[in-house]
Amino acid sequence: MNHRHLMRRVSLALGFGIAVLALGSPSAAELGGDLNSVATDQARMKATVRSTQTSSYAVHELQAATGTVVREYVSSAGKVFAVAWHGPFLPNLRDLLGQYFAPYSQAVQAAKLHHPGRSPVLIQQSGLVVESGGHMRSFAGKAYVPQLLPEGTSAEEIR
Amino acid sequence: MMVVKTFELKTWRCAGRYLSLLAAVFGGLMASGCGGGSSTPQTIAPAGTSQNVQSIAVNGGPIANQIYADGAFTSVTICAPGTSNCQTIDGVLVDTGSFGLRIPSSLITLPLAQQTASNGSAVGECIQFGDGSYVWGPVATADVKMAGEVASAVPVHLLQDSFFTVPSDCSSSGGPEENDPQSLGANGILGIGYFGDDCGPACAGGTISPPTPFYYECSSAAGCVPAFVAEAQQVTNPVALFATDNNGVVIELPAVSGQEASVTGSMVFGIGTESNNGLGSASVYTVDPNTGNISTTFQGKTYTDLAFLDSGSNGNFFLDSTTTNIPGCTVNTDFYCPASPLNLSATNQGANGNSASINFSVGNADELFTNTTDAAFGNLAGPNSGMFDWGLPFFFGRNVFTAISGKTTPGGTAPYWAY
Repeated sequence: MNHRHLMRRVSLALGFGIAVLALGSPSAAELGGDLNSVATDQARMKATVRSTQTSSYAVHELQAATGTVVREYVSSAGKVFAVAWHGPFLPNLRDLLGQYFAPYSQAVQAAKLHHPGRSPVLIQQSGLVVESGGHMRSFAGKAYVPQLLPEGTSAEEIR
Repeated sequence: MMVVKTFELKTWRCAGRYLSLLAAVFGGLMASGCGGGSSTPQTIAPAGTSQNVQSIAVNGGPIANQIYADGAFTSVTICAPGTSNCQTIDGVLVDTGSFGLRIPSSLITLPLAQQTASNGSAVGECIQFGDGSYVWGPVATADVKMAGEVASAVPVHLLQDSFFTVPSDCSSSGGPEENDPQSLGANGILGIGYFGDDCGPACAGGTISPPTPFYYECSSAAGCVPAFVAEAQQVTNPVALFATDNNGVVIELPAVSGQEASVTGSMVFGIGTESNNGLGSASVYTVDPNTGNISTTFQGKTYTDLAFLDSGSNGNFFLDSTTTNIPGCTVNTDFYCPASPLNLSATNQGANGNSASINFSVGNADELFTNTTDAAFGNLAGPNSGMFDWGLPFFFGRNVFTAISGKTTPGGTAPYWAY
């Protein structure tokens, strides 16, 4: 299944506000990417997608067979401005954060140099916020690009 | 000679109880129990006298020149299966937030057979932790001994860079690889949480296909590819495989008011199986079967199925600065740094409806960490996206029971926590 075809289906779903797409093979989108990346992520995760539309953005919820849920927030300009996840497995953050994975990875490794121990991830940079935590078989977190948040959208809405 | 030592602890944690009693007298109000330690004096079973009591210490950990704050450590004896060829590894982190024993292979002096798949490939495993770090290496089999308890042929995780190249979907957690003691801050992790094995049915096959990246089959020809591993072969909580006292564990640590160089306590195996591990007046908090979590109410808002008890977290990590109005630290940015210590309360609720309030305090981590000798802090706390992670500070002054899924206990159906 090519991405263009998938994108049409997602757009169609958006047109009706809420829809459930049960596709044969699932995956995930990437932060800072466009709507196409939602389809890419869905294919990678072998997920089913449920899309909802608010006045200022769309949320594509990808449910993997393993139980992990990824939500991708897409602005009306078509940009993925935030991702959030919860479930028994951490999603592949390299795929999910896209171009933001490298700065995330550098920041989380640097944060761990201050002291040994196990604490949740909190990265707060001017261009990237990542919060991630949980325990074995139960993880949750989110990442967003503050500059890409649609006007009037609060970070608390991302979850 | 058996010396039973009873610690009578009337710490600040219980001060609120007495205040509440005053309030009850004068205001007709009644608070629901002491937020901190037990409502009766805490009894810590002495190690060295019973087959089911293992000593634990919050002592900064085994790595020279670095202090692991609020980590509880113990020693674990492993043996080549069925033999008396054994070694004891100290400085192993006691972690109720994970399941299974993980030890850097650089510390292992025994010949431990690596697990192989039916096609002859070596079985490897990647574990990603909530802090973004990951560990990687083969699954092997060992007998595991603690106190007088023995678990035979336990699948354990050896942390080893040289096993095979780390798969990219393992390092995708983004944080550091912690295969060596230095980066791990410990000589291993002893996962004694409420599940018997570390992945469970999701890694064993069934309706899920292809395998999720967790267990791998590795060969020089094909590299490492995700693979299904039956639950019996998955890395397993050794307590669940003890011949006796195998339905759970009790972590018993004294209260820490402020900070101390170190404290010692006990890890008692079994729940209601011996005279020293009864539930007593502890309340049972069952976890949601889907999320494995309980609920916490804080400042009027309930965080449903988003709370857990985790001795392997070195602070109480909850919510975020925006929600709590507690400033984050400038140096140790994963902790809170209020201008002055805060005394707070929250209410935990199990899936079974049991609930009680918790008093806890939040200190300034940047200031606390300037102390280079103390390892036990009663007031370490930090942010945690939308969740309540009751870490080691929660365990100070309480006997905390973790009941293992599928086991029978006097507290009913596991999994649950009780305190």
